Amino acid sequence: MEPAVLAQQNRFAKREEEQLLVERCRQGDRDSFAQLMRLHEKQIYNFTYRMLGDEEEAEDLTQDIFMAAFRGIRRFRGEAKFSTWLYRIALNQTRNRIKYLARRNFFAKQSRRAHYKEESPWENPEFLADTNPTPEQWTLTKSMATQVQECLNQLPPQTRQILVLRDVQGFSYEELSEMLSLNPGTVKSRLHRARAALQQCLADKVE
Amino acid sequence: MECGKYQSQFNDYLNYQSQFNDYLDGELSPRERERLQSHLRKCLSCYRKWNSLQKTKELLSRLPELNPPSHLSAVVVARLKERRLRRLIGPFAYLPRWLSLGAAAALLLVISLTLWQVLLPSFSFRSLLSGQNDTFTMNATPSEPAAKFATTREGAQTPVPVMVLRVKDFSRADRELQSMLRSFSGPMVEEMEPIGALNSSSARLIDLRVPGQHFSHLLHELHKIGHLDQSQVEIHRLANPQRKKAIAIRIVVVGIRSDVEIRHLKH
Repeated sequence: MEPAVLAQQNRFAKREEEQLLVERCRQGDRDSFAQLMRLHEKQIYNFTYRMLGDEEEAEDLTQDIFMAAFRGIRRFRGEAKFSTWLYRIALNQTRNRIKYLARRNFFAKQSRRAHYKEESPWENPEFLADTNPTPEQWTLTKSMATQVQECLNQLPPQTRQILVLRDVQGFSYEELSEMLSLNPGTVKSRLHRARAALQQCLADKVE
Repeated sequence: MECGKYQSQFNDYLNYQSQFNDYLDGELSPRERERLQSHLRKCLSCYRKWNSLQKTKELLSRLPELNPPSHLSAVVVARLKERRLRRLIGPFAYLPRWLSLGAAAALLLVISLTLWQVLLPSFSFRSLLSGQNDTFTMNATPSEPAAKFATTREGAQTPVPVMVLRVKDFSRADRELQSMLRSFSGPMVEEMEPIGALNSSSARLIDLRVPGQHFSHLLHELHKIGHLDQSQVEIHRLANPQRKKAIAIRIVVVGIRSDVEIRHLKH
């Protein structure tokens, strides 16, 4: 059998399993919810981590998202994909959490910590462990992922979320427009602006 | 060649740049794609911009995927169970623990005391403290233990509380008591039985059955006649206005001089 056909069959099987679990969850079955959660927790956790830039906060927020999903699962009628519905909850919860953390100066403190690290590469054990710690090499050796995350943290939440959903997690424009309740044209223009902003931030860091 | 440098080519420059994102997302038609690719080969400025955008997207897509903590689903399920429990116990869930425990203990105490009073109405805590039991002797002098309970004349096993009124002027007190009881007979005194044999010129015993709700009033009236002895505390305890059942009580009016006579009665 063709690999593409197999992959499609696999997707169908997964979707059926998911539907079955959702149906059980709607009847209040917590064990089925735990199984359903295991299917999606990695994606949601990575989304929250990229949005907040902090592992502990991301874990806490992921828990809250799934709690909210369980509370509202009776309202899920299966019109959209479960993941799309789950991401709508995740987006709402993340928006609220960002507001909450911003009121407590969480992002300002986070940025100060990152800034301190960046100014003192010689005090960074990761950097010292590297075999070739020249200033030219530093942007490559000091975990490029960290720099990208720092840039993401500096972007406004709306800009950040569209970049994470599209370019990090690979959702299509249709899925994005459903999740964000925007028309595909608006999604596209917002994404282009977001990419340009990130591009600028990374260019500034390299310089 | 750098297309953005010349005014004449500026529109082309903007047009190509606006296609970069669509090109990245694979949304250009084959013809548009071919045109853009051919332009990028010729224009260094556009190529740099395109390259930088492409790298940015690549960086994002290559960000490492983090594994969530292994306990995540277990924690959520535990929180869901805890939430269900909180909903079951309702508003008490949000009280501080010491307060809810205190409230529970107080409630338990009230319930057990109420049950005690209903099941053992004749029990006295004082008797526990002083080491006395429920068999009391009649009191003649304040220094002796108070006479609080006696058996009915019919020899029934149920103890009857005895109220001793020690008075100086027996004949006057006796007159007042008789007239008061006559005025109360009916709704307030269900049954009045003077025990003639024990009546004398200086002592009188009367058995009464009083509806529970009128008992306090009767006590109040008896107070006016003469002072009550130590048994008053236990007898007052019976005066619960909620009680519908009739209360049997024996009243002893005795002149102070006839203490000796009372001692006699005891036997």
